Amino acid sequence: MSAVPQAFRAERIKLTTLRSLWVTPLLSVLLTVGATAAVGAALGDKDRNLTDDPGVGVFYGLNFGQAAMVAFGVLLIGQEFNTRMIDVSRTAVPRLGRLYGAKLALAALIGLGAGAVGTAGAYAGYAATVPADWHGPAFARAATAGVLYPAFLVVFCLGVTALFGNLTAAMGLLTPTVFLLSPLLGGVPGLREVFQFLPDRAGQYALHYADDPHLVYGHWTGLAIMALWTALAAYGGLRAMQRRTK
Amino acid sequence: MIEIQGLTKEYDGRRVVDALSFEVRPGVVTGFLGPNGAGKSTTMRLVLGLDRPTAGQALVNGRPYAQLTEPLRQVGALLDAHALHGGRTAQGHLRWLAASNGLPARRVGEVLAQVGLADVAGRRIRGFSLGMRQRLGVAAALLGDPPVLLLDEPVNGLDPEGIRWIRTLLRELATEGRAVLVSSHLMTEMALTADHLVVIGRGRLLADAATSEFIDRHGRTRVRVRAVDAAKLAALLGGPGHGLDAVEAEGGAWEVTGAEPERIAALAAANGVVLYEIAVQQDSLEEAFMRMTADSVEYRAEAAA
Repeated sequence: MSAVPQAFRAERIKLTTLRSLWVTPLLSVLLTVGATAAVGAALGDKDRNLTDDPGVGVFYGLNFGQAAMVAFGVLLIGQEFNTRMIDVSRTAVPRLGRLYGAKLALAALIGLGAGAVGTAGAYAGYAATVPADWHGPAFARAATAGVLYPAFLVVFCLGVTALFGNLTAAMGLLTPTVFLLSPLLGGVPGLREVFQFLPDRAGQYALHYADDPHLVYGHWTGLAIMALWTALAAYGGLRAMQRRTK
Repeated sequence: MIEIQGLTKEYDGRRVVDALSFEVRPGVVTGFLGPNGAGKSTTMRLVLGLDRPTAGQALVNGRPYAQLTEPLRQVGALLDAHALHGGRTAQGHLRWLAASNGLPARRVGEVLAQVGLADVAGRRIRGFSLGMRQRLGVAAALLGDPPVLLLDEPVNGLDPEGIRWIRTLLRELATEGRAVLVSSHLMTEMALTADHLVVIGRGRLLADAATSEFIDRHGRTRVRVRAVDAAKLAALLGGPGHGLDAVEAEGGAWEVTGAEPERIAALAAANGVVLYEIAVQQDSLEEAFMRMTADSVEYRAEAAA
């Protein structure tokens, strides 16, 4: 067996042997599907629609589910920094690029899996509880974004954590940014011109069916902006780890 | 084997490892000694490619660590027994390590049995004592059955039984033809375990010699004497004119450094002092080490002040 699959297998076993790690993507799917279905069931009959935009309704639960995905991305590498287990990993897999690449690949794969199951579940939950038409022309795009968004988010968070080399610092930056700064200030005129380019804002736009006149980019471009952030964070994380090898 | 050639490491202009050269040969337990902060752990990190040397190189079986394929089959290392995630089981921790180097899964059970952790294989590391973590760290080092072993302070936190266990294990591993480098600040332990000593202070090589040779060269010989009439002995040795380096010890005994017992006996006889004890004492490794590294220690005390 060659070195690359070995490094990936090691990362996979690291994931499955640590409960606090593997429960987070499961929790994310549960929240993504559960919150959509619960809110749909609570409001569906009375109000008909939680929102005019089926994308916002279907992915309502993702607002909760993404919290677990952020935690997953940070923990995946952050717990190795904070326990200094990263040194053990690096003696086992001395090529930093290979070690980090294996982690990125696992993060992306789990992100895609959680995205696929979460999106399918969220659509099913929405369709079962809200008598609205979710088929629209934007369906294919929103569903694609629903699969990709969690994967980008996990890889982005992993990259940022590698950049800091510290779990606590990464959590401290990412949690308020993704959950407070971005959604709250993203709607404030004068600030949204800048905040609309934050990765989560941009990526979430692709989940929506309706156009937002306040945004200067389109739905697909939004997803591309998030992909760019993700690539930058992933690369920056690697460079930072290389630089920290004094 | 490990070859360290002119290894130098600077952190922010501070030289931690200074032109260090030595070899760790197969079939021998090499003890790596030095006061805290002497650069032992840094040297080990450089050997493992965790830090980059400022100058010089460290070769493992002829190659830099980073170039080894499946390195766990060539070098086993224990750096820090705490550097693991407490949420994993002992077995889980070793399973990912084995997979990372394509080692068969059965090795996990084998090394856990070898270090005496078979009964707690399925328990989370969180509940392990420091001694158990050390054993797990040793298990991880042995996983790939490597010809080279590098252990940083492995006896830390071990109980007397554990210390005896690791001493026996290290000796066995060397007997099997492996190169074993083990750092410790416990001199007496090293005296019992190591065949060869590499002593460093302030990052510099102070000694590279067989353990017995090191004690012979750096340990002083003292002659301990006791007389029937303690006052007469004190008057003799405490007074001037005999040219001996003598100091009074407890209970009326005196210790004379750097003189043959015959000369002391003759001196006593000539002065009518009746001796009833005359014993030659060799410095322990600890004493030899303390004297040898005194400079480094003083330097550190100055720097801290």
